[in-house]
Amino acid sequence: MKKGEVVFSAVCVGFFALMLTQTIELLEQGRAGEVGSGFWPLLSLVAATALSALWLVRNLAAYAREKPRAAGEASPEAIAGAWDRRRKVGLSVACLLGYIVLMPWIGFILSTMFFILTFILALEERRMKVLAISPVLITAAIIVVFAKFITIPLPKGVGIFAAFSRFFY
Amino acid sequence: MFDLYWNAFGTVLLPQNILAICMGGLWGLLAGALPGISTSMGVVLLLSFTYSLPPITAFCLLCAAYCGGLTGGSITSILFGIPGEPSSVPTTIEGYALAKQGRAAFALWIFLLCSIGGGLFSVLVMMVATPVMANFALRFGPAEIFALVVAGLSVVSGLSGGSQLKGFLSCFFGLFLATVGTDGITGGERFTFDTTILLGGINFVTAMVGLLAVSEILEEAEEPFKEYKSAVAYRGMRDELPRLADYTKHKFLLVRSAVLGTVVGSLPGGGATIASFLAYGDAARSSKEPEKFGKGAVDGLMAAETANNAASGGSMTILLSLGLPGSNTTAMLIAAFMIHGMQPGPMLYASRPDIIYGIFVAMLMSNIFLLGLTVLAIRLFLQLNRLPYSSFSAAIMILCVIGAFGLNNNVDDLYIMFAFSVIGYVMRKYKMPIAPAVLGLVLGDQAELSFRRALLIADGNPIGLVSSPISIILLAGALFSIVYPLFKKPKMLSKSVE
Repeated sequence: MKKGEVVFSAVCVGFFALMLTQTIELLEQGRAGEVGSGFWPLLSLVAATALSALWLVRNLAAYAREKPRAAGEASPEAIAGAWDRRRKVGLSVACLLGYIVLMPWIGFILSTMFFILTFILALEERRMKVLAISPVLITAAIIVVFAKFITIPLPKGVGIFAAFSRFFY
Repeated sequence: MFDLYWNAFGTVLLPQNILAICMGGLWGLLAGALPGISTSMGVVLLLSFTYSLPPITAFCLLCAAYCGGLTGGSITSILFGIPGEPSSVPTTIEGYALAKQGRAAFALWIFLLCSIGGGLFSVLVMMVATPVMANFALRFGPAEIFALVVAGLSVVSGLSGGSQLKGFLSCFFGLFLATVGTDGITGGERFTFDTTILLGGINFVTAMVGLLAVSEILEEAEEPFKEYKSAVAYRGMRDELPRLADYTKHKFLLVRSAVLGTVVGSLPGGGATIASFLAYGDAARSSKEPEKFGKGAVDGLMAAETANNAASGGSMTILLSLGLPGSNTTAMLIAAFMIHGMQPGPMLYASRPDIIYGIFVAMLMSNIFLLGLTVLAIRLFLQLNRLPYSSFSAAIMILCVIGAFGLNNNVDDLYIMFAFSVIGYVMRKYKMPIAPAVLGLVLGDQAELSFRRALLIADGNPIGLVSSPISIILLAGALFSIVYPLFKKPKMLSKSVE
């Protein structure tokens, strides 16, 4: 039993319980004699809260049972490997968030090229040819299909970036 | 009637109409395969091309795009683990698992032949039994629709993998997500926290792209560096042709799924998603190897794909006979009728039988042509698999971003997609099944609206939910579907221990 799973189930209990408190206000919405806005969410959230509480109890019981055995079992290599995996996922998530935040400001083309470069670096791609070609090639293909052919109004950015984007779509 | 069919074949087989079927089919395959570009969006984008076309050519184009979209959604599901359509989720689970075992081409053949088989079956049913099925579907009120959706949701027990508890928790999470936004009946805001970003609710395509596609890429990012995407091995379509025995072994399941898909597709609010999930759940329950589900069950893939495409004929039946849209895409087709000065429904039989029979034949020819067109499309998509893995992941990630953005051309949707990507990643880490959450999100809105409408009609009396034999049968079936695995599992476990 991973400690993280206990934390995740506790977060689920907290989240669903919090949403349940929000539902109480919704129960007042609706006309007399009708099922109001809050009834259906109440059903879903009561079930979700009960199930997540049951999951938490099961996880706590399993954690308490396995804790004495698990203590001191993890090797330094395993711990380093786990941190390396977390670092790669963390970097990937940061790249995606940065891409979404930057896109409206610097436009689709530049943000996409920047995203591809940083994302493939985060995936430990080190081949210079791939690093040099991929951002340009993928962005060009995406622009041709989605901006030119399907005409999705991709973000152009602001100021000088918008002027740059208008060269292409 | 034979004269009408003869004339319809003569018209549809004209070169311009054949070309329209090929173009529409390829476009539909592309729209269905690209995540975030739905079949309905593909049909909408084609509408503007049909203004200047003769009506029958326009419907050849649109019907082929509809059939292609339903088929194409499964190509990316199997090759990349990304469902192009909500109805492709069961295909993603089983097809992608097969692909990861090095049986991508085998899974593609299974999907292709079952899809085409299901599609052809439903078109034949549509041609023969349209009046009968339309009459049956007319009896469905909100209580029956609610019972139908509950039956659709009951397949969660089959999708939960190892833990029923986590499966149902995931499903209720999805049902809760479906309540976010503006209430469809009172117009009040729910769980929006005074933000505009959540006012329109959580679009299931945005959530699905994050939960299923981006989270998968994030999970794969944990793996050590690899030069190419090695998860899916492909040896070539010819080397992995399935044997006839692969199909005959599951003949009853195939027939059952085709019938189920056609019937569910014909019900207003039914459609391919419920059909594929119901057939998949049915396959999981009736399988001799239930432990294979989630790990590449061929029968699960067959059932889902057959029912998925069989829904098209059912939806079209209701559209043509009653003028009711059975799915989002058939709702878009109503617009096409209006563009050409027609109103689908019983009167259209009397006024324009050439169009009705032309559509029957166009649907039939579209399914036949899709056999070749899909092989072409598969070759195209398999080339993508030979890209360097890192670039491939980046390209898929960008497709996901565009898919989420392109729905409303709104950057806010990207933040929702991002949030669901992280949620999906955490769910994967702790082995919480994602498919039930997607199912809850997709069906939740419909379940709530039909539930509240049924109670409204019954003056708040809950007996109104079980007032007809149809709803009683459907709800009893749903209850059985939920309870049965709970009793079946210990027996299976004890067998394995023995």
